[in-house]
Amino acid sequence: MTQQLLALLDTAKWTFSTRRVDRAVIAGMDHDFAAASAGDLILAQVQEIGQHQRVQLVSGRPSNIFPGDMIVLACGARYAPDQFEGLAEIDPAGADLLAGGGCLGRMVARNARIKPATRLLPVGRLCDAAGGAVNLARFALPANAQADAIPVIMVLGTAMNSGKTTATAQLALGLRLAGYKVAALKGTGTGAFGDYNEYADTGAHWVADFTDAGMVTTYREPLSRVKAGLECLLGHAAAQGCDIAVMEIADGLFQRETGALVADPWMRERLSGLVFACGDAVAAAGGVAILASHGMRPDALTGILSCSPMAMAEAVAATGVPVLRKSDLADPAEANSFALRAIAATQRAA
Amino acid sequence: MPRPFTETTVTAHRAASPAGTLPAQVIWPAQRSGLAPLIALHGISRNASELVDLLRADAARSGRIIVVPHFSARRWPHFQRPCRSARPDQALLALLSQLAVTMPAFAGPVDLFGHSGGAQLAHRFAMLYPQRVGRLNLAAAGWYCLPDTSMAHPYGLGANAAPDALCWARRHAQALPAYLRLPVQLYVGSDDTLRDASLRQEPELDRLQGRTRIDRAQTYLDRFRRAALTRGILPDVALTLLPGVTHDVARAIRDAGLARHVTSDPSLAPLAAAC
Repeated sequence: MTQQLLALLDTAKWTFSTRRVDRAVIAGMDHDFAAASAGDLILAQVQEIGQHQRVQLVSGRPSNIFPGDMIVLACGARYAPDQFEGLAEIDPAGADLLAGGGCLGRMVARNARIKPATRLLPVGRLCDAAGGAVNLARFALPANAQADAIPVIMVLGTAMNSGKTTATAQLALGLRLAGYKVAALKGTGTGAFGDYNEYADTGAHWVADFTDAGMVTTYREPLSRVKAGLECLLGHAAAQGCDIAVMEIADGLFQRETGALVADPWMRERLSGLVFACGDAVAAAGGVAILASHGMRPDALTGILSCSPMAMAEAVAATGVPVLRKSDLADPAEANSFALRAIAATQRAA
Repeated sequence: MPRPFTETTVTAHRAASPAGTLPAQVIWPAQRSGLAPLIALHGISRNASELVDLLRADAARSGRIIVVPHFSARRWPHFQRPCRSARPDQALLALLSQLAVTMPAFAGPVDLFGHSGGAQLAHRFAMLYPQRVGRLNLAAAGWYCLPDTSMAHPYGLGANAAPDALCWARRHAQALPAYLRLPVQLYVGSDDTLRDASLRQEPELDRLQGRTRIDRAQTYLDRFRRAALTRGILPDVALTLLPGVTHDVARAIRDAGLARHVTSDPSLAPLAAAC
């Protein structure tokens, strides 16, 4: 590696999505951005501040960014109806910061209520000593065959910001208070430390997300790879000694990968419990109906819906599924009933 | 790591939880038998220190670590059952978690013993968290949460219009199969027949659970067996009358060997006089 590149990498801001990277494998960089694929590491320079004014560092804190800053992040796609849709493509003339956790690509759609993406100037694609692109997949946790050994409560929802992350964290907290070693996992989405840190704050025994399975984002990844990532995380949760896992699946039931997962028999066979987060009673009824069409029924509804007693009553009347507030999920008595049901389901399946 | 003891000692602990802080005394026998720790829950007299004195010799004899929490009247006016206004279950969980940091035995199932109001808390805790309980010893409970829907919660698992009744009934019912698999030993004094102010007396309760603690223990025994058998579970539950004992935990321990019963290895000391 040249002294100049070494200096650049030393002073660059390494984003959350690169946290598993062994920097010792980086020996140089190329400029073949047309060949960049999802997960490839890119060194880029901040060109113009837009929507994202900060990036999330490996250390777990946000960092303000300024034009001229050097950043290491991964080429990736983005699915975020509240922000951007983007593809894993790098334009040498300028690329878009699609997510502050460290996802660079080409924005193809933007929510009307937010600013244009922060623009980054690609400096180089990081390479190893053999000249090959350094990709996040190289640093993924190894596949683990113990996935079937651990009960998993899946958390699904209607959309971004429907309350899935809060539900996942609060249920993990309740389970930990009830005495379980809990794995809090984010199965799909785009790498960011917000959810990860929220899970970790609950005292969960093991916390991980799809970036630990080698993906900066699961958007536009083949279903087989997404499922392999979920199995990988569950297997490692079991290997870490966890009694039970709570796994958030990002975005809504109509999102490409989430929809494919929900329709896949794997999901029905694998889940031991199901929580559905939504914003109102109509969304609850719709979600429950869609899940029913795939042979699944939530054990509980939660999310923004649970802030309104009237919406809760309507949802219960429409679906027959109990609605739990976040304080209910964090209650060890409530969480324990989830765990006992989930453990029994896993034992029956075995 | 806990330090080695040359004699039975007692240490004081406090555990904070969302429900409040719970103090407890822990009796550490000089020789540990490896039996599960025993949590001893006082009744409405809140005589935790007296219980420590009463249990200390049997802790030493059995080699069991015994934990005696103290639910003070000021902080815990209601401690007999988890409800919206009091969560003694959360306090007990926090105490177990804290003790498990240095003594892994507390992370696994522990045995529970409760007298009077302590027996009420003990069986309700076990109904909510059966995986945390090894053996359940219930002495002279004033009344019970029946493991069926014949009465509305908190007397049973039925629902009524009371706030939260449905929620608590659901939580208890969810864990019921695991609870019904627990070994449960009921005790009551043969002379514990007084219907005084400390015994809840309501027509419905008298009619469905009985008029005295003996009647109510017998009812619970029958309902537990029936609930278990209905689910295809072979119940491990028995009722022992303590001869000549009134509603007095000190006499039950000193005169009828109650502490010996609850601390002994159940696989080695089958009880006589079981109903």
